[in-house]
Amino acid sequence: MTSNSAVLAAVVGIGQTKYQTKRGDVSIAGLVREAAVNALQDADLTFDDIDAVVIGKAPDMFEGVVMPECYLTDALGCNGKPMFRVHTAGSVGGSTALVAASHVQSGTFKRVLTVTYEKQSESNAMWALSSPQPFSVHLNAGAGGYFAPIIREYMRRSNAPYDAGIKVAVKDRLHGARNPLAHLHLPDITMKEVEESMMLWDPIRFLEACPSSDGACAMVIVSEDVAEDAPKPPAWIRGCAMRSEPTMYAGREEVSPQAGRDCAADVYKQAGVTDPRKDFDCAEVYVPFSWYEPMWLENLGFAPEGEGWKLTMEGATSLDEGGDIPWNCSGGVLSSNPIGASGMIRFAEAARQVRGDAGGHQVDGAKLALGHAYGGGAQFFSMWVVGAEKA
Amino acid sequence: MLESEVLSQAFELGFTYTRSTGPIVGRFLTDLKNRKITGIKASDGRVIVPPMEFDPDTAEALSEFVGVGSEGEIVSWCWVARPRDAHPLDKPFAWAMIKLDGADVAMVHCVKAESQNDVATGARVRAVWADETFGMMTDIRWFELL
Repeated sequence: MTSNSAVLAAVVGIGQTKYQTKRGDVSIAGLVREAAVNALQDADLTFDDIDAVVIGKAPDMFEGVVMPECYLTDALGCNGKPMFRVHTAGSVGGSTALVAASHVQSGTFKRVLTVTYEKQSESNAMWALSSPQPFSVHLNAGAGGYFAPIIREYMRRSNAPYDAGIKVAVKDRLHGARNPLAHLHLPDITMKEVEESMMLWDPIRFLEACPSSDGACAMVIVSEDVAEDAPKPPAWIRGCAMRSEPTMYAGREEVSPQAGRDCAADVYKQAGVTDPRKDFDCAEVYVPFSWYEPMWLENLGFAPEGEGWKLTMEGATSLDEGGDIPWNCSGGVLSSNPIGASGMIRFAEAARQVRGDAGGHQVDGAKLALGHAYGGGAQFFSMWVVGAEKA
Repeated sequence: MLESEVLSQAFELGFTYTRSTGPIVGRFLTDLKNRKITGIKASDGRVIVPPMEFDPDTAEALSEFVGVGSEGEIVSWCWVARPRDAHPLDKPFAWAMIKLDGADVAMVHCVKAESQNDVATGARVRAVWADETFGMMTDIRWFELL
């Protein structure tokens, strides 16, 4: 927690790969290496400057490489240095960044390299998420099949118009078209095209779901004294929080999980955020299925309960419509989804915004941004607040 | 309740995967398909076989391929007196660390021999290639004693 941390930490380097369906030209090691080198170059540092490496990815079953961190040591330059692996399902990209930050905030290390990845072209994520277990109902439906009924319950409670999800699908792809690293570039996408795309898991249509991507994302997180000398503006880490809750039990609030509310309250308190819609300039929030934008707008306190869809429909979250609180300017998970990296991309893109380094999807003058990730059956949450200023 | 009354059930789980080898290991395997063995030069000048993508000391990306011989010397070995189904030979054989000519480190492979009395540290061996090669380690069927 920043409020209890001994040392202020900041992001001084960000590196990503171009997200795409298949990176057949590189091994897993080559993929993580590319992001790591890009982050070090952005920070004007080398592997020799790094004190420790923190790596994260989605469950090992996805690519079928058990404990891949063991073989990625040389690729990430951590010969003779500590290396840690973080596991929290789809939220792992966010929680890996938080673990890396905590190693700086505690004063243990001055410069930490953190990397996350997924090579979905080599994996079997959909079915790895649907493994039959004895004595349990076999859903056999991947993440979309799991979340579809929760979305339907949100639609029932909120009386949201049927096309709120379609609007998000279009908006995030228009954002993604501004981002050269995004997997999907669909600058001409229309509401009609999304509506007519195949229904995969009612109410989630094909174009309302995230793609399967290969990619890696890395950041260099350093202590305040090191950040002061960084060649480019740092993104100061103003708050960090994680929360978890059980996935399945009768009576669980699945539409707006308590762990998400608690995690947001914690991170806002650390950063002095009282009105998220007003206080943040933008947010990068984990929205793998379109309807999760209105749902998380409510869970994260950007809108009152039952009214998240109104922000979406008004264009408040759209860069192209000049919205007051743009969400997922990078295109979000709906435009790129290397699962293990997707959370870190949210955190890194929030940092790019406050560094003024987000290129074609920059929010003018962004000073404070939220990075958010969730994983499992919406049971793991990780969030950070980054700012252009220290406080 | 007796322990045997607690329900349990076995289950099997399996998936199909793809693996991209990348430019370094991929080159090694492609060369095997062409019946050649390729190593890579590390930052300290050692030739490492099979090649590594990144230097084991400096973490630099490696790129200088070096062809090595298909003959070499046994550095260390152990005898498998009773091969199992998964073993590469169905008769007794040796697992051996083999330093190929031109390499600076040893690589593990199997050595075909009539008896363990024929195998020795320092013995010379030669790769025996499969009739059909696929770009896999098993393209070298085994090493034979010279």
